[in-house]
Amino acid sequence: MNDLWTNRLSEYLDGELDSAERAALEAHLATCGACYATLSELRGVVAYAKTLVDSEPATDLWPDIRARLTPGQRPGVSPPGTVRSRRFSFTVPQLLAASIALVLLSSGGAYMALRPGTSKVTPQPAAVRQQGIMTVANVDRGTTDAAIADLQATLTQNESRLDTTTVRIVRQNLAIIDRAIVEARIALQKDPGNAYLNLHLADTMRRKVELLRRVNDIAAQS
Amino acid sequence: MSRQVVEDTLTADSIAADAALAGSGDPSAFERLYRTHVARVHTLVRRMLDADEADDVTQDVFIRAWQKLSTFRGESAFGTWLHRLAVNVVLARRKSVGIERGRFIADEEPLKDVSGRPHTPELSMDFEEALASLPEGARQVFVLHDVEGYRHDEIARMLGVVPGTSKSQLHHARMALRRHLER
Repeated sequence: MNDLWTNRLSEYLDGELDSAERAALEAHLATCGACYATLSELRGVVAYAKTLVDSEPATDLWPDIRARLTPGQRPGVSPPGTVRSRRFSFTVPQLLAASIALVLLSSGGAYMALRPGTSKVTPQPAAVRQQGIMTVANVDRGTTDAAIADLQATLTQNESRLDTTTVRIVRQNLAIIDRAIVEARIALQKDPGNAYLNLHLADTMRRKVELLRRVNDIAAQS
Repeated sequence: MSRQVVEDTLTADSIAADAALAGSGDPSAFERLYRTHVARVHTLVRRMLDADEADDVTQDVFIRAWQKLSTFRGESAFGTWLHRLAVNVVLARRKSVGIERGRFIADEEPLKDVSGRPHTPELSMDFEEALASLPEGARQVFVLHDVEGYRHDEIARMLGVVPGTSKSQLHHARMALRRHLER
């Protein structure tokens, strides 16, 4: 086997030789069975590498990771006491990402659940196929409504502690979430037993609670 | 719009929403991101470093991600951002522990101690073992190029070598691995 050419086989395989080198190597391959066979083997390795699959760690690493997330410390924010108090704003991309996601979750979820001819094949997680889950979701929804009302009242009191941009974006996001909730409820009036829509509504309300809590936390620290 | 497209869109935007929530300090959203991405990160780390370091370094990756989430602007997918972060953590680890062995392997026989096996359903595991037995430099270039899809100029920049070294390492890795596949 010609070592000079053998050492260029990977570059040939990856299309990294110039036209003159490629032509010379191809001429060599036509006469060298060993290099030709090696090229085939290398091609097999490259192809095989693309079939490798990812695998979970043997043990759940989350408990240790969770323990290392400093309690009460937000990502990228120094521990309390190390920086002076300041007014906090969500970044616009963060809030927009959340709001766009909610709109898509709403419209996409409603689309999947309500499009013609699909009501009987709407995907439902195994857990929600069991009777009783829907009842729990409905009970939770009443609790969530109350939590949202409390949080919104708190936010009304806290808004003066947030800067104007944050308040405006938060209001826009809450309006988007509210619209998603209304759309989900309208859809549920047409198909009250739709498990997907019920879970979607519960999830959207949960996200509203999370957003309100987050904003209130931020306002409390401002 | 096909159902698959709708589901993909929902998944991608659910991840984007969780990234935004986690970026504002929500551990529950961050746990969902962890569950979605841990296999990919752990596998990358395991292939790039020694298996017994994989759990610790994977934890470091997610802690680092939590600390840097406020810098994630959403220009790329969260998974892409996290993956690049993981590569950086691995390479920083490589430097900090002074892993320098095996940077040049032209005259070595990296897999000479690895027994070959016929093609079996366990081939993937055998291939992973063979990959793990490669010298560090060749292994990392192979993983970054052939598994993860980075280009030689990107790899060279990350590893602090010239592209020619990256190409050479890749070729030696492939040559060693094809011996294993063909035995």
